[in-house]
Amino acid sequence: MSNKQKYFYSLLAVAALIAASIYGFINNRPGLGLDLRGGLSVVLTAKESKGVRITQKAMDQAILIMQERVNKLGVSEPTIEQQGSRNIIVQLPGIKDAEQALDVIGQRALLEFRIVQKKYEGQSPEQMNFEISKKKKVLEKTLLTGKVIDSATATFSSGQDQLSSAPIVEFTLTPEGTDKFAKITKENINKRLAIVLDGRIITAPNIKSEIPDGKGVIEGIESIDEARRIALVMQTGNLPFALDISQHQQVGPTLGKDSLNAALMAGIIGVALVAVFMLGYYRIFGVVTWFTLAVFGCILAGLYVLINLILVQLGSAGFSLSLPSIAAIIFVFGSAADSSIIVYERIKEEIKGGRSIRSAMDVGFAHGFRTFVDADLVAFLTAAILFYFGVGPVKGFALVIMLGIVADLTTSFLFTRSIIGLLASYDVIKSTALFGLRREATPE
Amino acid sequence: MKIDFIGRTKIWAAVSGAVIIISVVALVAIGLNFSVEFTGGTSLDIKFKQRPPIKKVRDTLGKFGLQKSIIQPVGSSNMLIRFRQPGLTQKKALAQQEKVQNTIKKSFKVIDINAEQVGPEWGALITNAALLALFLSLAGILIYISLRFEFKMAVSAIAALFHDIAITIGIYALVGREVSPATVAAILTITGYSLYDTIVVFHKIVENSKTIQKDTYANMANRSINQVLMRSINTSLTTTLPVIAVLVFGGETLKDFAFALLIGLITGAYSSIFVAPEILTIWKETEPRYANLKRKYAQGQALGTRL
Repeated sequence: MSNKQKYFYSLLAVAALIAASIYGFINNRPGLGLDLRGGLSVVLTAKESKGVRITQKAMDQAILIMQERVNKLGVSEPTIEQQGSRNIIVQLPGIKDAEQALDVIGQRALLEFRIVQKKYEGQSPEQMNFEISKKKKVLEKTLLTGKVIDSATATFSSGQDQLSSAPIVEFTLTPEGTDKFAKITKENINKRLAIVLDGRIITAPNIKSEIPDGKGVIEGIESIDEARRIALVMQTGNLPFALDISQHQQVGPTLGKDSLNAALMAGIIGVALVAVFMLGYYRIFGVVTWFTLAVFGCILAGLYVLINLILVQLGSAGFSLSLPSIAAIIFVFGSAADSSIIVYERIKEEIKGGRSIRSAMDVGFAHGFRTFVDADLVAFLTAAILFYFGVGPVKGFALVIMLGIVADLTTSFLFTRSIIGLLASYDVIKSTALFGLRREATPE
Repeated sequence: MKIDFIGRTKIWAAVSGAVIIISVVALVAIGLNFSVEFTGGTSLDIKFKQRPPIKKVRDTLGKFGLQKSIIQPVGSSNMLIRFRQPGLTQKKALAQQEKVQNTIKKSFKVIDINAEQVGPEWGALITNAALLALFLSLAGILIYISLRFEFKMAVSAIAALFHDIAITIGIYALVGREVSPATVAAILTITGYSLYDTIVVFHKIVENSKTIQKDTYANMANRSINQVLMRSINTSLTTTLPVIAVLVFGGETLKDFAFALLIGLITGAYSSIFVAPEILTIWKETEPRYANLKRKYAQGQALGTRL
């Protein structure tokens, strides 16, 4: 394949990438972060107490508790995510009553066992919760708290055949809990015992018989997932750590919008300044840079969407555009122009060294590329480390820096190289003045 | 046009030395102004319909014993209030913050409020993460440059980086600008980009050291710097322009990023020309091969002037 052909194919690849990026971007527009659209963001940190290790299982329980609480708040599109080994980030976009939300999220988890009042015995837990929300007295007073639960596991009942095997939760009680539970079950046979987390009934099984030995089973659960959820909830009374609100941030909708407008304004002016400078200094190459920056922008957007799609596939919430990521976007546009400059200056240098314009352009890219690949890789390395250790918005910043470097290398290799190569092979540029090099300056 | 950079090493060393001493003195004497994320505390960003005088707001805060809050006007209609509530439990601090917010809403014409509250342990957590990230970045850079170029270049680059970080910290102490997680993230990023220009210079030095065999290391390095000078200036300029735009037009959070990035870019550009190659040259000329060349060259010069 001749060089010309290679360049044409590269440009075709660029066109395909741009099309894919634009298509992907339109269909999967990244959401705006809380700092731009308003809302409440809370970081909860598990607090270690003496002799207690914070296990992943305990963190899973904590996240489950948070999900229950957030459901209670009725926010659309909440995200609850673990970050690092000890932090849970709860994001509630567009929430009106931040005070109430903080109260609900910040409370200590409380698991209780309470008997359901006769009047409501025939209802499902959902109906009971609805009655509770109307301030009706559905439950008797608290008989036991979650501390009496030693363990709870979801499993299948060992029926005679496949058909009679149903999901159940088996639980065991602590020695202190065993006697109390025996007494309660004995006195309340055929009543319903509600398991209540933070004031919400999770399930309310019927007491069939006395449980004297501290080993009980909950039956009549619809699915194994539901059984798992109940088992997790039953252990939350034993959550071995306190969850503290270590940071919270409320952003009003108007202030968020102000920030977004200011950021867009700054970005447009910043990129325009770079474009004007490049034209003034590098003339025809400056125009090439305009296209380079446009291609770079498309590929960056495409990569951002792609990463988010992958993250969502992996079950994470993905990244929304926050102020720090916008700062990074503006910054990487400036550094994308750097790569072009290194190539153009290299071409000038080759001409000063006595090469013809055409051969200078041929070798200029190759030499320049080697230089900025090294420079880019070092920058990538630091950004990757920052991404790994950063918390919250800093992660978004580091991610954009990394994507910016990948987009820059892709653009340079596929686009800038081909354009320079084609300009050289068609001998378009006859005078060095066209890219801002005065004749008398050549050769040295 | 050719500038003798390496020959004036002593001047640059004096300049850098003086600036670093000022930075250290500023850091010790004034200290850094850490944001609530590090110190713990509450920060309120309030947008008013019509901004009241600071004194009135301070009087309102006085009702809660918070008259010592830091109050800053921001932009045309905003105000930034920061206070710490030592001795309050998390729950009480939260309740107080909510009361303060409501009182301000009642007393003045408020359009919108952003509130942030940070517990004291959060700061330690993110500080540790940042230090670990910095340490690993330095180690990674050291290994990468050692493998791609050579160990002496890696150490020179890292030395230049410490120079940049010291000056950046000094400027933050002198200016009194808030150090937020955004600042730290920006500075960590700059550790990567501040090497951008240094690597461009080193690339040229490596290339020239292969073709220029007869000249001293100092002359060869100096020629290399001159050859890439325009490149360094222009790349720094294009990276700086958008950052300046953000510093002028962006909102508060963005300005935090931009300020840190700007300082880092300027010191990075400076050290890639005036610090890193100089350290490298001094070190390289202790190698027998280059020490010999240097001696021969000096003799030649001496003879030349005598004749």
